[in-house]
Amino acid sequence: MADAIADTSFIVDWVRYSKSELLFKVFNVVYMPESVLAEVESERSLIWISKGLERGVLAVLPELPDISREALNLVAKSRRLPVRPVDYPEAFCMVVGKRLNLVVLTENGGAVALRDYDPEYSGVEVWRGIDVLYALWRSGHINSFKDELKLYQQETKRTYSRRDLAKYGGAHGGQ
Amino acid sequence: MEVNEDKLKEWIERFREAKEVRRRYANWEFIRSQPPKVRVALEYYVETGDFRTAAKMADMAVDEFVNMAKDQANIPSTD
Amino acid sequence: MQEPSSVDTKLKEWLEYFREAKEVRRRYANWEFIRSQPPKVRVALEYYVETGDLYNAAKLAGMTMEEFNELRIKAGIPSIG
Repeated sequence: MADAIADTSFIVDWVRYSKSELLFKVFNVVYMPESVLAEVESERSLIWISKGLERGVLAVLPELPDISREALNLVAKSRRLPVRPVDYPEAFCMVVGKRLNLVVLTENGGAVALRDYDPEYSGVEVWRGIDVLYALWRSGHINSFKDELKLYQQETKRTYSRRDLAKYGGAHGGQ
Repeated sequence: MEVNEDKLKEWIERFREAKEVRRRYANWEFIRSQPPKVRVALEYYVETGDFRTAAKMADMAVDEFVNMAKDQANIPSTD
Repeated sequence: MQEPSSVDTKLKEWLEYFREAKEVRRRYANWEFIRSQPPKVRVALEYYVETGDLYNAAKLAGMTMEEFNELRIKAGIPSIG
């Protein structure tokens, strides 16, 4: 199983999902940058994080000067383009994903887009909740990708676009 | 700076569509009834999807703002 | 039957040590104080009682380790394990 790094946008959604523990069927350890803890104050998120830390399936990744430098450059670079820029916490995750070969878990469109349009980050694996659900279905941990995706969208109030759904064969993909 | 122009155009369109989704589902009555700080933050969030800045505007933690936007203002998280 | 290695024995000893340490923290903690704290601090203190992990507990609370250490003293939680 691989390891991953998750940013706030992913965690805020994922903790609302009633089967959030399934994340650890896909990943050994999920890292969170320190900055994520600074952005989270709701009891639900904090309890989920603290239980994960207790079990050893979550870990905090501290600020690392070398990675911070590249992340700041990435933020500046993305702001020069007419598309949603990448904020520092997402940029940090993308750099870590590239350098340490971790899957980046994010729902931030700017980060997902970056991987698509910037050749320097095209090798980074970026997953959204929908991608985690698909992996869970492929590995037999959920029965129906379509039903689970519907439940996930309801519980998290996260809407995936036609393009996202088309990646998995539209709404009927992965039955 | 070397970028994939086609992909960039695709993403610009995606973000535009995402804004339409947020605008369409938002509970405008709720948004308009909020104190100025929160109202402006929610309106900004609908327009841009930038939850981080919106949370700062509203003087709230990121997760608290996003959950409020979802549960009370009916603004779905999207691209 | 294979004899347990010295590594296995040591591991078992440490697990028991950490389990006992958690019991001590739980027993001495001032739960009234802990429950009266705002969510972020409360969750961090509860995490610390369970694990003794000052580093991550401080991060959960959004404090420096020194600040959190002062807090756990106020909460009556001994530093053990």
